Amino acid sequence: MAVIETDRLTKRYGSSRGVEDVTFSVEPAEVFGFLGPNGAGKTTTIRTLLNLLHPTAGSARIFGLDSRRESVAIRARLGNLPGDFGYGRQASGREALRLLARLRGVDGLGRAEALAERFRADLERPLGELSRGNRQKIGLILATFHSPELLILDEPTSGLDPLMQEEFLSLVAEERERGCTVFLSSHELDEVERVCDRVGIVRAGRLIAVERIHELLGKARRTATVEAAKAADLATELRGLEGVSDLEAADGKLSFKVVGDLDPVLKAIAGHHVLDMELTHPTLEEVFLTYYGGEEQ
Amino acid sequence: MTSQVWALILAHLHDRRRSLLAWGIPLGLWSAFIVLIFPSVEGALSKAVADYPPALKEAFGIGELSNVEQYLHAELLSLIVPLALGYLAVRAVSSGLSGAAESGRLDVLLSAPVSRYRVAAASFAGTAVELAIVLLLTVILTGLGSLVANANLSLSAALAGYANVWPLALLFAGLGIVATGFSLRTSVVTGAVAGVLVTMYVIDLIGRLDPDLSGIRYASVFKYYGNAIEDGIDPVAFVGVGLAAVVLAVLGAWLFGRRDLTA
Repeated sequence: MAVIETDRLTKRYGSSRGVEDVTFSVEPAEVFGFLGPNGAGKTTTIRTLLNLLHPTAGSARIFGLDSRRESVAIRARLGNLPGDFGYGRQASGREALRLLARLRGVDGLGRAEALAERFRADLERPLGELSRGNRQKIGLILATFHSPELLILDEPTSGLDPLMQEEFLSLVAEERERGCTVFLSSHELDEVERVCDRVGIVRAGRLIAVERIHELLGKARRTATVEAAKAADLATELRGLEGVSDLEAADGKLSFKVVGDLDPVLKAIAGHHVLDMELTHPTLEEVFLTYYGGEEQ
Repeated sequence: MTSQVWALILAHLHDRRRSLLAWGIPLGLWSAFIVLIFPSVEGALSKAVADYPPALKEAFGIGELSNVEQYLHAELLSLIVPLALGYLAVRAVSSGLSGAAESGRLDVLLSAPVSRYRVAAASFAGTAVELAIVLLLTVILTGLGSLVANANLSLSAALAGYANVWPLALLFAGLGIVATGFSLRTSVVTGAVAGVLVTMYVIDLIGRLDPDLSGIRYASVFKYYGNAIEDGIDPVAFVGVGLAAVVLAVLGAWLFGRRDLTA
């Protein structure tokens, strides 16, 4: 049974867009990335799953329970980090944890201390005195301290420094190891690529694709730059290959886009004397171009 | 269930601890000051009040000012305290609902297995306790003022006078929850309910000033407020207004449960 299952989930705000006909499922112990630019509908989808927003149409089930009618039972089994986490200015992380623990019926603070040490989070200072990144750490601890079955994380690394982002990605991997399902939204392709099994791409309120992460990257256009001794010959060879486009040559350097299987391209290049080469990772925009062909902005 | 509501009430009081003192102590000191100065102004007051127009005395519930209880009612309990506590009630109840929504705290709380109804109920109950503490602090400081000035204030009368404000203020807390069912902006909620508070006071005032318009007083909760420091608490009015507050809170919780949590 899927942990999360939505069926044409739709949320509209009057005349403005929310999300439209979003259908996907997340399997147990899967890390599912919800990828899209800001304003695409990621947070709206999450808030609808959590019953903070009520769907205009369609439905969502979590653990097989109706997300609206059985929301309290669902929330007993999950941890949630809201986007742009806040908790007021006066309370400390420890006070917030104590209240959440009591509301969850958890004795003590679970593994909060260990997580605080791991993320170097200050549980004693009022949240209003903490930087955005340090507040985000508290939010992560609040979401995970009770070892939930499902973690819903909205832009979890927002504000975290690179070291803590690494620590977070390790934590997600560990959570998956212990059987936890993770649903995380992000607009960072790198982050999603490193930790997710599958990705749903959302844009303009619609889910446009759900792919395994390596399939997604395989479909995306990557930019390659090659400096070769006989650049003109290599250019001729590359032009004949499937998936190669936008090839430009200047001063012995070739730059081109490549989509799909890289192997033929690398083999073609390997037959030449290569002086330098760079293959850039696809950006989120390039992934979108794959699906939209640049038609929608 | 009870432990969740209790945990939320304690959290409400913990968050509002500064507010408790910021309202209770100044109000108590003001009330104590009124009691303190009474012995020295007593004679002059009686003469002045005798010259007041009868309609004015009726409007503000000023009868004789021959004892400290009457003076306390005229100076504080007839206007300042009910308006101030009504406003505090809206502020307090909003802090746990619209204020929590604005700060992001509500999203965190509702990640836990707690229903919105319990959050609203805890906010209302926490506000009820907060108001009771502020009123109790005021009575204690007023009593101390009376002791210092030897003003012969009846503590039970003072307690009745201040306790009578409690259900009235709670009614505005209930209205505050109803308003939260329509808006999660604290400025809108407090502004709207404060407007109702003042409007109700003015309606009651007009009804008392003009006997032909006395019927409009039924539209105001102040009609049932009375003068408990002199006449004692009217149990029917006290319980009735209290029940009305609870009904409004229940209605508000229902509206709050049905709405999207977005401003």
